[in-house]
Amino acid sequence: MVALARKTLFREWRRFLPAVLTVCFAGLLLIVQAALVLGIFGSAAIYVTASSGDLWVGYPGTQSVNLGRPIYRDVEMLLRMNPAVTRVEPFLWVDADWHATGVGGVAVSVVGIDPSVKGMVFDHMLSPTLRQDLQEPGSIVVGKADLGQLGVQAGDHAWINGHRVHIVAVIPGLRALGGVNVISSLDTAHNLDPHAGFVTYYVAKLADYAQAPVVAENLNGNPAFGPYQVWTAPAFALRSQLFWMFDTGAGIAVVFLAVIVVLVGAVIASQTLTAVVISLAAEYATLNALGVGMPSLRWVVMEQATWIGGLGLIGGGLLSAVLLVVAHGQNVPVAMTPQVGLICGGLVLALALISGLLAMRGLLRADPASLLR
Amino acid sequence: MFAPSLSGLAASVASDKVVPSLVAEGISKSFVSGIVRTQILERFSFSILPQELTLISGPSGCGKSTLLSILSGLQPADGGRVLALGQDLGQLKSRNLEHFRLRYTGFVFQGFNLFSALTACEQVKLPLAYMGIKGAEANRRVMAVLEEVGMSQHAHLRPTALSGGEKQRVAIARALVKTPKLLFADEPTSALDASSGQVVIDLLHRIARDHGTTVLCVSHDPRLIQHADRVLVMEDGAINREWRSGGHPAARAMVGADTLK
Repeated sequence: MVALARKTLFREWRRFLPAVLTVCFAGLLLIVQAALVLGIFGSAAIYVTASSGDLWVGYPGTQSVNLGRPIYRDVEMLLRMNPAVTRVEPFLWVDADWHATGVGGVAVSVVGIDPSVKGMVFDHMLSPTLRQDLQEPGSIVVGKADLGQLGVQAGDHAWINGHRVHIVAVIPGLRALGGVNVISSLDTAHNLDPHAGFVTYYVAKLADYAQAPVVAENLNGNPAFGPYQVWTAPAFALRSQLFWMFDTGAGIAVVFLAVIVVLVGAVIASQTLTAVVISLAAEYATLNALGVGMPSLRWVVMEQATWIGGLGLIGGGLLSAVLLVVAHGQNVPVAMTPQVGLICGGLVLALALISGLLAMRGLLRADPASLLR
Repeated sequence: MFAPSLSGLAASVASDKVVPSLVAEGISKSFVSGIVRTQILERFSFSILPQELTLISGPSGCGKSTLLSILSGLQPADGGRVLALGQDLGQLKSRNLEHFRLRYTGFVFQGFNLFSALTACEQVKLPLAYMGIKGAEANRRVMAVLEEVGMSQHAHLRPTALSGGEKQRVAIARALVKTPKLLFADEPTSALDASSGQVVIDLLHRIARDHGTTVLCVSHDPRLIQHADRVLVMEDGAINREWRSGGHPAARAMVGADTLK
């Protein structure tokens, strides 16, 4: 079998290049957009994903980690009574006002955690030494990406709600979605705003993580301990991310943009492919005169579209990988998962196939009778 | 589906009874442009014999290309019928017509229409895959026809490296590799110089003689007239002269060589 589609594409690559580049850049746009969305909205659940707790207990109906309300401390007893639970620790959320030399007011979220070495919250981000430093009253840790906004460096002092605090460390990856994250011990956070309550969430560790959904279900629905709700860590993280993505309208905007990218890409790529098909109309018409059916000729066009999609995907994927590595190095919030990567790849191939379908109209010119006029 | 009576055709030729391989019975064709209707062919009837090169000649616009496209099944007639190898082409659906052309017909056009990305060998091999002929058999056939048209030494060359005459020979090989019973050629020499045109004429003639193929050629090239077995001169959608200088022995005996109609 003569690989007509492939040989034409590689021999006359200059004619196909605009279509390949279109698919390439459409893929780049889709992947980078998806990576930014995952990175930005993933930070909405950084408190959960950077911690090793299996269950999160908060106020009923809490839609996102940052929207928590105080719960009764009795809930800790409920958790400790369950034999599946091996460790429980509180988490306190305080919305506060930051002030530093040369910087006006900045809204910050102070996250009070158990600073002990065995603490679960942020144990993926804070080293044991750093946790020990947080035990000093008034000590805080801030994110590297927020330094410009906060106007401080590691070792400096600043004021939160009028209380003097000491920046003991600066760590990467702490960028927040709706403001600035500040990590402190539970005591420090409570002192910064005594009216915020003592506990916003309880985080629990289980002996067997696989039992988390069952344990969460068993723990829910006990009114004797006041209003509370239990989620597994992945469920609570997803809940927070989905809230930011869809309840804020940002998710719909992203989906809308993805559709626009695919459609515009398909139209532009199809124009190039159609031009190539039309330029080969006489050759295709001759094949049809010789008895090669129109479905076979359409298949040649679709094969070329698939090649264009494949080459564009490889190019777009490599470019995206380079860009995302650079962005990650510059503290830009980007992330990617295999599932989202596959969806982007599927969309790019769909774009190429749509362009192939649109380009088939060029075969209307491949009328063998027209060769005799 | 179609069922050309090829066995009947072969038997009749063997018994010196001339059976036409291509018959037009009262075909009509007109084109409409705006409100103007132009009649190209009107109740046109004639027949063509196998094993000879038949030339339809005439001035531009006389309807010879339209006639060729109808006889080859590339477009339908408004009225009448075309019998190709005993098969009424008007009765075939589009897909069956394509299948008929794939199995029984070859085409050579003035413009060569070769894919610039393919070598001569690949150009010729291309239709075979669609006929289900692959591998060693396809290669054997390709090399045989390239040898026959004198292009085996250039099998690896692409069209940009070939002269006009060589391109046309590759196009003829592409048509011939299918071993067609009917070969249609539209102005096959018009774009060629004298020597290349002569080579192409000789090839078409040889194909008719050696392969028993019905070769129907449409051209206004006077060089072809001397080499055709039978010449039909068209004017205003009708044949006004016809003569024969060779071709099928039985036909010559029946009609008489150099007959002026």
